[in-house]
Amino acid sequence: MSFSLAHALTGLFWLGALLLLGGLARRASLWQQGRSASVSWLGLLAMPKRYFVDIHHVVAREPAVARAHVAAAGGGVAILLLSALNYGLMLYQGWLDVLLVLMAVVMLLGARMMQARRLQAPPRLSQGRWQVLPARLRLFALGSLLAAGLLFAGPQLGLAGQLIAVVALLMLALGGAELALGIGLGWPMKHAVAGLLHLAFHPRVERFAGKSSDLKPLNLAAGELGVAKVEDFAWNRLLSFDACVQCGKCEAACPAYAAGQPLNPKKLIQDMVAAQSRGTDPAYAGNPHPGREATVVVKPGEDIVGSVLAAETLWSCTTCRACVENCPMLIEHVDTVVNLRRHVTLSRGEVPGKGSEALANLRNTDTVGGYPLAVRYHWAIDLDLPLLQPGEHTEWLLLAGEGAFDMRYQRALRALVKVLKAAGVNVAVLGAAERDCGDVARRLGDEAGFQRLAQANIATLAQYRFAHIVTPDPHVFHCLANEYPALGGQFDVWHHSKLLEHLLARRAIPLKADATPLPPLTFHDPCYLGRYNDGFNAPRNVLKGIGIKVVDMQRSGRDARCCGWGGGAAFTDIPGQRRIPDMRMDDIRETGTGRVAVACPNCTAMLEGVVGERADVIELAELVVERLA
Amino acid sequence: MKIAVLIAPAVHPVSGRPCAGEADLAALALAQRLSSQVDVWYAGAADDAALADYLARGATHIHTLALAAGREVLSPLAEALQDYALVLCGARAGGGDGSGLLPYQLAEQLGRALLPDVLDLSKSDQQWQALQALPKGVRRTLAAKLPLVASVHARAASAVGWSYARLQQGKIQRKAATGAALPQVVLEPARRARALVAASKVSGHARMQGAIAGGEGKSAGIVVKQGDSVEKAQVVLDYLRQHQLVDF
Ligand code: SF4
Ligand code: SF4
Repeated sequence: MSFSLAHALTGLFWLGALLLLGGLARRASLWQQGRSASVSWLGLLAMPKRYFVDIHHVVAREPAVARAHVAAAGGGVAILLLSALNYGLMLYQGWLDVLLVLMAVVMLLGARMMQARRLQAPPRLSQGRWQVLPARLRLFALGSLLAAGLLFAGPQLGLAGQLIAVVALLMLALGGAELALGIGLGWPMKHAVAGLLHLAFHPRVERFAGKSSDLKPLNLAAGELGVAKVEDFAWNRLLSFDACVQCGKCEAACPAYAAGQPLNPKKLIQDMVAAQSRGTDPAYAGNPHPGREATVVVKPGEDIVGSVLAAETLWSCTTCRACVENCPMLIEHVDTVVNLRRHVTLSRGEVPGKGSEALANLRNTDTVGGYPLAVRYHWAIDLDLPLLQPGEHTEWLLLAGEGAFDMRYQRALRALVKVLKAAGVNVAVLGAAERDCGDVARRLGDEAGFQRLAQANIATLAQYRFAHIVTPDPHVFHCLANEYPALGGQFDVWHHSKLLEHLLARRAIPLKADATPLPPLTFHDPCYLGRYNDGFNAPRNVLKGIGIKVVDMQRSGRDARCCGWGGGAAFTDIPGQRRIPDMRMDDIRETGTGRVAVACPNCTAMLEGVVGERADVIELAELVVERLA
Repeated sequence: MKIAVLIAPAVHPVSGRPCAGEADLAALALAQRLSSQVDVWYAGAADDAALADYLARGATHIHTLALAAGREVLSPLAEALQDYALVLCGARAGGGDGSGLLPYQLAEQLGRALLPDVLDLSKSDQQWQALQALPKGVRRTLAAKLPLVASVHARAASAVGWSYARLQQGKIQRKAATGAALPQVVLEPARRARALVAASKVSGHARMQGAIAGGEGKSAGIVVKQGDSVEKAQVVLDYLRQHQLVDF
């Protein structure tokens, strides 16, 4: 009896393996619709490190779920490997059966924990097949347990043993189908295969070697104009969509979703899956884009935007990277949003709201607001701020950015210059030679406009001699530090929080001696300083350095909520139920401090734009200047 | 039906860079609404880069009559446009030396009627109708007959959005042309503007009272205090309709 059960297991194993391979071949043919991409096969070797280190960084934030996954997936993989040895290769060793039993127990526990969580599933989780997955996994684990146990202790059991064997085989077949068919039919277990391959062939492979948050340039000369159809994605980008486990962590983190704007990043990724699988996968069973139907109609051959995806969904994104930061499968939502926007902007010219006006201003005046370049430094007229001349040298070059045209933010800029002067920093500006950095153009999809501005700025900066650049605008900072290098501009760029931190640490800023204790306040992390550049500590150290206690909001640092400005969202202004800055102001109110420190001209404008009673919004430099001796 | 659209670079009011003029864009948009055969014409000395905005905004092909600077564009244009039953242009160029006279001179030269400040043109039962913009938001509908020159108001619906792909695909075809020298421009000091005299000398508050306080035939205003917001809005809407300030 035990002999025949073992053979049945061998048959089942190979059947499963064949089905899995067939499914993988089918799925791979879907990925092949995409463009070619330069990937390294060595990625396969790097997979374990990426799995255990990089993914761990993300999932460790939710330890209970991580434990359940370790048990279920670890147990499952071990069962598969052991079965491959013992039954696939027909070794039929008793001690391997003992190990199998142990691993089955581990997997059973993991699946049990998952099932318990599913009983009170948070709304961000998808239902449908995902809801029943833990039960299927339990079935598989139980089947393995019974079969291996039986084989180990079997011959004595007689008729009962035969019955158990049949039950075990049934369980294995049912549970195993979930594993074997997942990749081919787009069922939940697709994530295991696609997820591992995604780790190996990640479209942003640099992220495993350090921070990587820059948008990649389009080769405009070669006619690249963004993504219109599924075929315009790189194949490994299509693969990345299939890695999604529909955990909804992106959904829970997304400010646009919370504001009721028609964007759910999880659904966005699933829309891409629907587009590439031409709707053959099981229907999506999660939350829709707010205010929209969950069902999509896939029309093969049609542009993605306008068929599976509404343009408003695309334009709601603030590119805050909260989704990317939280995604356990390391999916890069912002890349996809911007790639799709590029097509809509560059090919169709359909930028909604004030977005097209901002882009026209950039084309015509090199500023977002349509200002004359010559007035950018008018606020500094009495500050004796040197205008750098070509050939002259300065230690620090200050780029004020677009905030220089805003009367409110000019106060912050004046404060910054005063502090730098008090600290004896050798700083100068470009005056009318400074153009917009191109941030808004790029995030709105106008890659051509961005590259024009970036190249013009790089050419301008090449005429001057300076050691470092400092800017109070995190968007300018991010563009220059991370996105200009791809276009040939290498600069040593500092955000002003970093410079202030540095000066305070060296006691270069003369502070008032009488340390009247200052009331605590809270700090709003700008996305483009924080999540984009890991600049979490510098601003906090500055506040500490001038003796102010920071009461952090519940969502701060890595989890900070966007102010709503980024990605040109303040210009496209897609309506929702609430406004994102209003929600952020609620976060600020919760701290009870009544004051919030900011470190970005755009956060300043968004938070000060909140109507009704609100906390005072104070720029970092303004706080420091108050403490000057 | 083949339609000719005249365009010219505008001067950006802030930076002084060449860009597309609003009225010319509106003319382009109107032509594209009316027909799929739209020929876009430019006469003058501007280089291709100055016309780029029009390519990006939907002109697929621009015929340029290249003239030396300071030459008159009227006669070469008139010659090129003779065979078009409908010629559309912006009511005036966006800045620069434009005088706003070209539509009139062109119509005269071609021996046709000029329909100025058009917002929309449509054809029903072989009859053309034009919606014309008048000052203070007043609109009127006119019957029109081809051949015709129409100047399009800057507030008419604008052309499609700016697109890099269209800019790349658009073509500019240059043909050398000759025109007479522009007449000498004579500058003279502006006449002293007549000082505005207020029609009545009462205070603003008193005038507001006069406008809204009812009774004794003193006022044309109505003060609506009764009714819910829908009824009040209806009164406003009726007023706007009566004065042709909205057209729905
Ligand atoms: S995209 Fe990432 S975070 Fe969002 S549901 Fe999928 S796996 Fe989860
Ligand atoms: S980047 Fe921010 S706004 Fe955009 S989808 Fe992700 S979380 Fe939402």
